Amino acid sequence: MHSIQHKLKHKLLVGLILSTGIFSMHFSMQASALDFGKALEDAAKKKVEELRNGNSITNGESANTDQSKTSAESEAVNEEKAFNWKNPSKAEEIALGREITGSILGAAALVKDDKLQQYVNKVGRWVASQSERADLPWKFGVIESSDLNAFAAPGGYVLITKGLYQQLSNEAQLAGVLGHEIAHIVQKHQLKVLQKQQLVNIGAGLMTDKFGKDNKIAQKAIGSGAEISARILDKSAEYEADRMGVVLAARAGYDAFGLPEVLQKIGQTNKTDNSVALLFKTHPHPDERLTQLGNSAGSKLDNLKAGKTLENRFYKLAN
Amino acid sequence: MKPDLILKKHQKTADLKAFSLKALFLIGMVSPILAMSGEAGTALKADTLRATPFADAKSVGTLSKNDAVNIVAKKGAWLQVTTQKSTGKKSTGWVRLLSVKRGGTSSSNQVKGLADVASGRAGTGKVVSTTGIRGLSAEELKTAQFNETEMKKLESYTLTASDGQKFAKAGGLTATKLPYFTGAK
Repeated sequence: MHSIQHKLKHKLLVGLILSTGIFSMHFSMQASALDFGKALEDAAKKKVEELRNGNSITNGESANTDQSKTSAESEAVNEEKAFNWKNPSKAEEIALGREITGSILGAAALVKDDKLQQYVNKVGRWVASQSERADLPWKFGVIESSDLNAFAAPGGYVLITKGLYQQLSNEAQLAGVLGHEIAHIVQKHQLKVLQKQQLVNIGAGLMTDKFGKDNKIAQKAIGSGAEISARILDKSAEYEADRMGVVLAARAGYDAFGLPEVLQKIGQTNKTDNSVALLFKTHPHPDERLTQLGNSAGSKLDNLKAGKTLENRFYKLAN
Repeated sequence: MKPDLILKKHQKTADLKAFSLKALFLIGMVSPILAMSGEAGTALKADTLRATPFADAKSVGTLSKNDAVNIVAKKGAWLQVTTQKSTGKKSTGWVRLLSVKRGGTSSSNQVKGLADVASGRAGTGKVVSTTGIRGLSAEELKTAQFNETEMKKLESYTLTASDGQKFAKAGGLTATKLPYFTGAK
């Protein structure tokens, strides 16, 4: 019984360490090519520190048990290896997504409006049910930020900023935006980025090598190449999520052009506006996304049955 | 929570779409034509203007990339636009929605502004409000700490597939089959 608790605690701890590092790198990497090397170094240092702290906690706990330090450590290594990064299980995906999403919520809390959150969950759940991963325990939330942005994390976590929500004028547009994020999760885009960065490898490497004597070498190994490959993947992933988002909204019975309408609207936002700083850094410009979407759609959407926009039902925020 | 509040202006312009989408709801028919009363747009790429909103309809002109257009109506995947070439020749036709972005050059925005005045929308639609909600920077995300309370709250909103189905039914939404399409070459 105690051993299970211990294992669970440790697993959560490891998950937190890994995902925090991954998350911060993911974002800082996208934020600026110039800052990438520094950010990576910082994040790696932070991770090493956290792992050290984590280790002392683990030791402290094991001192209260019958287990020797060595067996606790080897158990920890096994736990680490037990997380199948190459092909994570549904439960592992959800656990990872929970940590990532919880961190975003740490930066920006949920908007205190139950009706809004319930409404977004209803729309999101229905759109997600049209996807290939209807079985995930989908969760949607609107967060307190005036930015225009939305986030997806593995396992079915989707967050949209209040700023973006306020740009929407009907349910079809919300369905399109959520459809884009749902597509990221269905296609495991974020997981693929993590795998590509081989971040997991250092994570595991640091654990197995007892916090790695060769940290600098490990840092260099991910520093070169990872950024470029991740960027290419990101751009194509965004276009793919746009294409899928349009289809998912249409499958759900909505007007397929809700997402393009939102892109058309946010495309008019001045590039220097703070509210789109992060969005425009991490995504291709809306004009480029519309062009790509139009080129790939060709004539395929020409004769689509008209869907619903349901602006009468759209939940409007008080301010 | 950092106290670095960023004051920002939110411009809510008169929403032409809201009007036309309301029309869609009231009419409630399949593929209605929605009047758009002259919103400015710009061609994202070269495309053909067609007499009717169908890919095989007769060509009535062409759009070049960055051409300024006036969006007159919307029907499904199509927008009806008017263009004025540098030669002065005016043409009206249907073009795919995804070939046009909203908004134009600064000069065409001025034209839109004038159109708003002419149609009586100016003064009623533009509301400038100031909010003190902070932005979300990459740096803030990088240093953010896991928040268990907020996560539990998020989890409390989780719905089942059948909840979603009920909601869809209430809105008259029906699921249809549609394959994904692949990327442009």
